[in-house]
Amino acid sequence: MGHAHSTGFLRDIPGRAPWSSHGFRPWLVAVGVAWVLVAVPCLRAQSSKPTDYDVKAAYLYNFGHFVEWPANVASAQNDSFTVCVLGQDPFGPVLDATLAGETIARKKVAAKRISTLQESGDCQILFLSSAEEARLDNVVKALNKQAVLTVSDMPQFSQRGGMIQFVLEGKKVRFEVNLAAVQRAGLTLSSELLKVATTVRRNAPSGD
Amino acid sequence: MLKVQHHSISKTLTLMNMLVSSVALLLACGVFCAYDLYSFRLALVRNLSIQAQIIGDNTVSALLFNDPHSAEKTLLALNANQHLVYAQIYTGDGQPFAGYWRDRASETQRAPVIPSGQVQDHWFRAGHLGLARSIIFEGKPTGTVYIRSDLGAMTDRMKSYAVIVAVVFLASLLVALLTSRIFQRRISKPVTELAETARIVSREKDYSIRAVLTGSQDELSTLVESFNEMLGQIQERDGALREARDELEQRVQERTTQLASANKTLALQNREVERATHLKSKFLASMSHELRTPLNAIVGFSDLLAEQTAGELNDKQKRFVNHIKQGSAHLLQLINDILDISKIEAGQLEYRCESFLVKEALPEVLSTIHPLAMAKNIDVQQKLRTDRPVYADRVRFKQILYNLLSNAVKFTPKGGRIEIDCFESADQVGLSVTDNGIGIRPEDQKVVFEEFRQVEGNRAAVNEGTGLGLAITKRLVQQQGGKISLSSEPGKGSRFTFTLPAGTEASRPAPAKPSASFPATTGSNSGKPLILVVDDETSARELLASYLNSEYRIAFAESGVEAVEKAGQLRPDAITLDLAMPGGSGLEALVTLRKTPETANIPIIIVSIVDEEKVGFALGAADYLIKPIRKTVLLEAIRKHVPIQGDDDSEILLVDDDPRSLEMLEETLRSAGYETQSVQSGARALEVLSSKVVSAVLLDLLMPGMDGFEVIQHVRGQATLADLPILVMTAKTLAQEEIVLLSRETQALFQKSGSWQQQLVAEVGRVVPSRKRAKSAGQQ
Repeated sequence: MGHAHSTGFLRDIPGRAPWSSHGFRPWLVAVGVAWVLVAVPCLRAQSSKPTDYDVKAAYLYNFGHFVEWPANVASAQNDSFTVCVLGQDPFGPVLDATLAGETIARKKVAAKRISTLQESGDCQILFLSSAEEARLDNVVKALNKQAVLTVSDMPQFSQRGGMIQFVLEGKKVRFEVNLAAVQRAGLTLSSELLKVATTVRRNAPSGD
Repeated sequence: MLKVQHHSISKTLTLMNMLVSSVALLLACGVFCAYDLYSFRLALVRNLSIQAQIIGDNTVSALLFNDPHSAEKTLLALNANQHLVYAQIYTGDGQPFAGYWRDRASETQRAPVIPSGQVQDHWFRAGHLGLARSIIFEGKPTGTVYIRSDLGAMTDRMKSYAVIVAVVFLASLLVALLTSRIFQRRISKPVTELAETARIVSREKDYSIRAVLTGSQDELSTLVESFNEMLGQIQERDGALREARDELEQRVQERTTQLASANKTLALQNREVERATHLKSKFLASMSHELRTPLNAIVGFSDLLAEQTAGELNDKQKRFVNHIKQGSAHLLQLINDILDISKIEAGQLEYRCESFLVKEALPEVLSTIHPLAMAKNIDVQQKLRTDRPVYADRVRFKQILYNLLSNAVKFTPKGGRIEIDCFESADQVGLSVTDNGIGIRPEDQKVVFEEFRQVEGNRAAVNEGTGLGLAITKRLVQQQGGKISLSSEPGKGSRFTFTLPAGTEASRPAPAKPSASFPATTGSNSGKPLILVVDDETSARELLASYLNSEYRIAFAESGVEAVEKAGQLRPDAITLDLAMPGGSGLEALVTLRKTPETANIPIIIVSIVDEEKVGFALGAADYLIKPIRKTVLLEAIRKHVPIQGDDDSEILLVDDDPRSLEMLEETLRSAGYETQSVQSGARALEVLSSKVVSAVLLDLLMPGMDGFEVIQHVRGQATLADLPILVMTAKTLAQEEIVLLSRETQALFQKSGSWQQQLVAEVGRVVPSRKRAKSAGQQ
């Protein structure tokens, strides 16, 4: 029951196609060996069992479908839907692979790694890795009333003013929602999302 | 019958109605049910599809965020639909994600395969409907929902449909029944009435009945109208037919009446014809009688005259008497011939055929012919070349032969020759009569056998002959199965030849020829009774004497006194007494005679012009005759009272109603020496026969009152008279049975024709033997 991935999510993984190609040339063999050295762990992880971050990356993308951003927000007026990773990037290429070619609300989805909050101007979703716990309060404060969906897997995130917090339930990746924070930011969350959330915090005392 | 018909019509109508509505209803229900089931299935599929879509939509987040619990919670909402038995959500790679079982958890089905390019697919299978639908999120297939619904809804629906259909069916059947009842009344009632009308019409043959018209204008009313119209036509035709029949009947009746009247007329005419035939026969019979009787007198008296018994005749008188004789003989022959031919023509001539020899019959004919031939000095020769008997009527045979011979004698000149030849030819016996006379011209030969034909050229030579002889001869020959022919050469002679069938044997010898011995005439009157005639007038006495003197001796007295005197002396056998006499009336004499013992027994017959019959009889008269009296009456009266003297039976009793015949007979027989007594009626004859014995009776057949046949009957009925010879003479044409009777009961039969007196004398001589002569001398 823990397999959250559908085949569809995996079908565009690069490097699969060459296995099916024909012809062996010495340089191609060399390049292939080099690629294998780098790619195999990744492939192995994906093909056998998706890692938490595989799931989380997919979740990030999915969240985009269940959240409505105010139309007047500048970021919303952009051509693309940007998923930003602030600070340390736990996803690696997974996120890019997940988002590649996807669209949300007819906008191309793109991943953007930022280091400072100033760079988050055009972000619709901002992921904050658990390594950035120190910057949490700043982020929460800075993005208060900004139409940016904040997501993190650090503990206490939703209690501390974050909007969606990944939690592990056994081996399954779940999430909690701080609805007050979401509503404060002017975002609308689909009830569907709330339905599958482990916890929905409506009046976060830590907010104001 | 009618009821069944009626029932079958209404039943048929009802059945039809029900059937039609049932079929329509079933069809409609079937179609609607099929359509409804079909759309229900579509709806079921659509509903299921919608449900699947809703489930998909509501579980897509659970799928996306890997939350089966949430999905199961969503699935639990399916509980509301009791027909959903099972639902399953599969992840995008076909792994079961969340499930729902209505009753209990059961096996999880493998993920269904939806054909590529389709979002969903469904299967009706094994009592359920399964539907699989892809869960698409943002254009990407995210998972699959599989829902299974039982078909309970459909079954329920079908059940409720069945109930509804049944209810509607029954209801509509009921309605159909009711409506058919109603319409039936409109259809079958007129039909029934029509049938009833038709039945009545056919039963009562009353074509004036009309079927009742129904109110509505439909085919039935048209039918009724047509029926009525037909009835009208039938009635019309019936009437016409009846008229025609009546007319026919009337015509038949008319015809029948006409026929009946025609029949009546016919019957009347038939009776007329019968009467006419009868009259003709009667006429023939009376003709023969009435014509022959006077002729008989003529012939008889002229014969007597010619014999000069009544006195000498001078030559002139002799010649005249001969003329009378010849003329009357010719007339008699003519009458006989005419009667013969009439009888032949009428088929009344009967033949008593028998076999006999020609040589037996020939002499009788020749004895008649010889005098004629001898008168002309004609030599008659005969040549008999056969002994074969001939089969014919003997009398007719003789007639044939006589006719031919007399014909030959007539046409043969004096000194001529006649030859008779008898021969046999085949099965016939032939006879030819040949003469050497004047002959017959060839052109005349054909007609000589026709009636009333006499050869013209011979007129002068033949002054007698009826012209019927040969015609009769020819018919007699032909009717007896023979042929007659003629060959002749003028100037040299003629030969008549006839043939008759040959007989088998001669049946009997010819009757013995009467002996020709004539009784000697004695003329003695001594044996006669004595009559005393008493009358004062001489003429009266002579008249009475002339009446009586042939039979009686007569004495006269001129007065009563003389009468008493003479009666006492003469003792007469009878007295005729006149009453009106001068000097003593006859009555006194009568009384005196009666008182006187000697004369008391003498019968006294009063002959007077005084009509005092009662007185006369009272005074003892035997009879009373009133002048003028006729001879026969007087004789009869005297005969009644004068007893037969001794046993003299030599008298011959003559019975004939015709006085002239009697007189002639008396004359003939007396001249032959016989005593006779004459009576004029059969009854009188019987009286005489009962009072005295006679030697023979000469009897006429046709008499008023009792006729000859009755007399014969009475005579033969008495034992004492059984042997009395009776000789019958008649002018009557006799029938066959009469001839038979007469030949059995009587001794001789004479036809009063021709010169039969000689034959009579001969026959009398035969039956009255010489007794008379022995007796004749006896008296006084």
